[in-house]
Amino acid sequence: MPPAVATIDTASPNRSWRDNALLQGWLVLLLAIVFGALLAGVQTALGPAIADNKRNETLSRVPQLIPPPDTAATSAQLEVDTRMLPVSSGGRTAVYRIHRASRDDELAGWVVQVAGQGYADRIEVLLGLSPAADVITGLFVLDQKETPGLGAKIAEAPWRGQFAGKPAALPLEVIKGGGASGNQIDAITGATISSRAVTDIVNRTLADVRDQLATDAGKAAP
Amino acid sequence: MSTPSAGQRFIRGILPENPVYRQMLGLCATLAVTNNLKSAVTMGAAVLFVLVCANLMVSLIRHLLTPHLRIVIFTLTIATFVTVADRLLAAFLYPMSKALGPYIPLIIVNCIIICRCEVCAAKQGPLTAVADALGQSIGFTLALVSLAAVREILGTGMWFGFRVLPAAWPDWVIMVLPPGAFLTFGLLLGLTNWISAQRAGKEEA
Amino acid sequence: MTMKASGMEKTDLKNASVDPTLTEVAPSPHLVEGGRTTRRMMIDVLVALAPLVGAAIYFFRWSAVRQMAICLAACLTVEALCALMRRRRPPLADGSAAVTAIILALSLPATAPWYAGVIGSMVAIGIGKALFGGLGMNLFNPAMVGRAFVMISFAGALGAAGYQDAGSAIDIMTQATPLTAFQQSGVVTGLADLLIGRTNGSLGETSALACLAGGLFLCLRRSAAWRIPASMLAIAALFAILQTGFTAQGWTPAHHLCGGALLFGAFFIATDPVSSPLTPQGQMIYGAGIGALVMIIRIFSGYPEGVMFAVLLMNGLTPLINRWTIPPPFGEQ
Repeated sequence: MPPAVATIDTASPNRSWRDNALLQGWLVLLLAIVFGALLAGVQTALGPAIADNKRNETLSRVPQLIPPPDTAATSAQLEVDTRMLPVSSGGRTAVYRIHRASRDDELAGWVVQVAGQGYADRIEVLLGLSPAADVITGLFVLDQKETPGLGAKIAEAPWRGQFAGKPAALPLEVIKGGGASGNQIDAITGATISSRAVTDIVNRTLADVRDQLATDAGKAAP
Repeated sequence: MSTPSAGQRFIRGILPENPVYRQMLGLCATLAVTNNLKSAVTMGAAVLFVLVCANLMVSLIRHLLTPHLRIVIFTLTIATFVTVADRLLAAFLYPMSKALGPYIPLIIVNCIIICRCEVCAAKQGPLTAVADALGQSIGFTLALVSLAAVREILGTGMWFGFRVLPAAWPDWVIMVLPPGAFLTFGLLLGLTNWISAQRAGKEEA
Repeated sequence: MTMKASGMEKTDLKNASVDPTLTEVAPSPHLVEGGRTTRRMMIDVLVALAPLVGAAIYFFRWSAVRQMAICLAACLTVEALCALMRRRRPPLADGSAAVTAIILALSLPATAPWYAGVIGSMVAIGIGKALFGGLGMNLFNPAMVGRAFVMISFAGALGAAGYQDAGSAIDIMTQATPLTAFQQSGVVTGLADLLIGRTNGSLGETSALACLAGGLFLCLRRSAAWRIPASMLAIAALFAILQTGFTAQGWTPAHHLCGGALLFGAFFIATDPVSSPLTPQGQMIYGAGIGALVMIIRIFSGYPEGVMFAVLLMNGLTPLINRWTIPPPFGEQ
């Protein structure tokens, strides 16, 4: 604002109007109201679609991590219920997002969404488990910023595919040089730290939620 | 100095006053989103939308602007249209919106837009303002695409996600990382300067 | 001090003709060693590199020859092209491009693919040197710029894992490098192997004795500033002692000094006269900084070796170190 003129002519109504900061800003206020209404409209129109996009991003991966039904006759759609499961152990609390997948009201498997520290940044994964939570049925990396060409291979199918079919009871172990068997996972050449980070996330998740899920599965059974 | 016409404004934005190579504006986004062509084109389109809307809006209310409140009004206008662009992307191009992350909201602080509002839209009519916005955003998009083409081809052997170099091509990973952005931008900027110096030399001769 | 015979208008001391009837005066600096040219220095470096080249060829055979041939051809070609683009005579005879080529080749693993040498040379000479305005103007050590570019680009082939080639006919190339072997599996390589060079690693870094021999020659010829390797090795040794203590078992400070690229870097990479500080004091700071950074990267980061990044980081600080340490001219406040 320009400095006020030394003598303010209060007699002139025009003058006092110009000195009123609130009135001077009428255009700003008007625009704020118009733009606010515009944004509210956009949010109302697009909000549901955006929320759907966010949810589908995760949920669209769930069927890939749940094994197909035993009998080909079942054509029932996979239904997914999501809940949060906080687990406290050893002084720390981790929150797991548990997706319970079922077909025709029968439990088809679990998908656990969890994040942990990688080599470069946070790694977020989806871990598929069998209904009794005793076998890993798959792993998907939702978000990672590992080194391109090295650590980023954790998100590629050949590496993360190793997890499918591994027993959930024993902690997984990363080995170098290939030839992994049993509860072992082959490290990515040149990216042992990233490989270990993902495996650690999986091990910790299993330790935290396996019992809980197995109990839940028992309860759900008729 | 006479005020440039709509046509002049449009042409100038594309090359002679290219926002990236000539005015060196909006470099944050330029460096950050050009590791592949899809992000670069999406970013260009988002800037086009915001710049056209903001320039049009500002031009329409240009007679109502007071000098000390104009920046507030520019910012308000730009922020609104950026938010609209961000929501539109999240609703219809969700993977792109996720890949671009904070760089769409950051268009609010992209100097190209506030610069055009100030230089052109606040002084000239709607037609000129829109022509100016189109020229500048096409220039911006061209600059992004030129950077992204170099980086994506060298860094991944792909062009718009299609493989253009043989599979045996060793990916120059550094090109898709931040250092690659600075190197490529520096080299292309040097190239454009060299070309215009050659041209100026010819004209003098 | 001897007044050098030279005409005021003639600055080239070496070629100045002396007229015995004139007492000639010249403005400072009065260079005593007029023969100290770029060319002589570069030839010194090439001579000093000979033991390293010899060791590399002896231990890595054909791979070493191939790598050096690729880098030499690529560096000289790019140097010539860049000079031609600026319409100048290619300065190949000064030997600086050859030195960059050999140092780059010696800093690459024996297993490095051919394109790593070619692209590394292009970046080293083109971006690392020519873009800054040629020899003497570059901020960073060209060979290290080239190496950093290819190492980040082809991390799979040039990172720690890239050094190993299980199918190689040469025995040492099937092993992990001493630093990687220790960092990842706690295997300690014998000191004798480190000294002689019977280990895997970048071509020029494996033999500590060859590095020492070449390095001492350079320092004695004063083609390298001795303060840089001295302070660098002293600080690295200090950090090593802090980490391991005075121990004679396992990975000792001696292993830290002889393993990896520390000696090669100290004598041949950090001493690049263009990208290192000018003053004695500055050279001490610069060397100490590199030594500290190398050890910090080795001990705390995911990389087994840090000479390249340490040198590049300190190169960036060189102008600042020069500003701090150049004494003010006489009479200036």
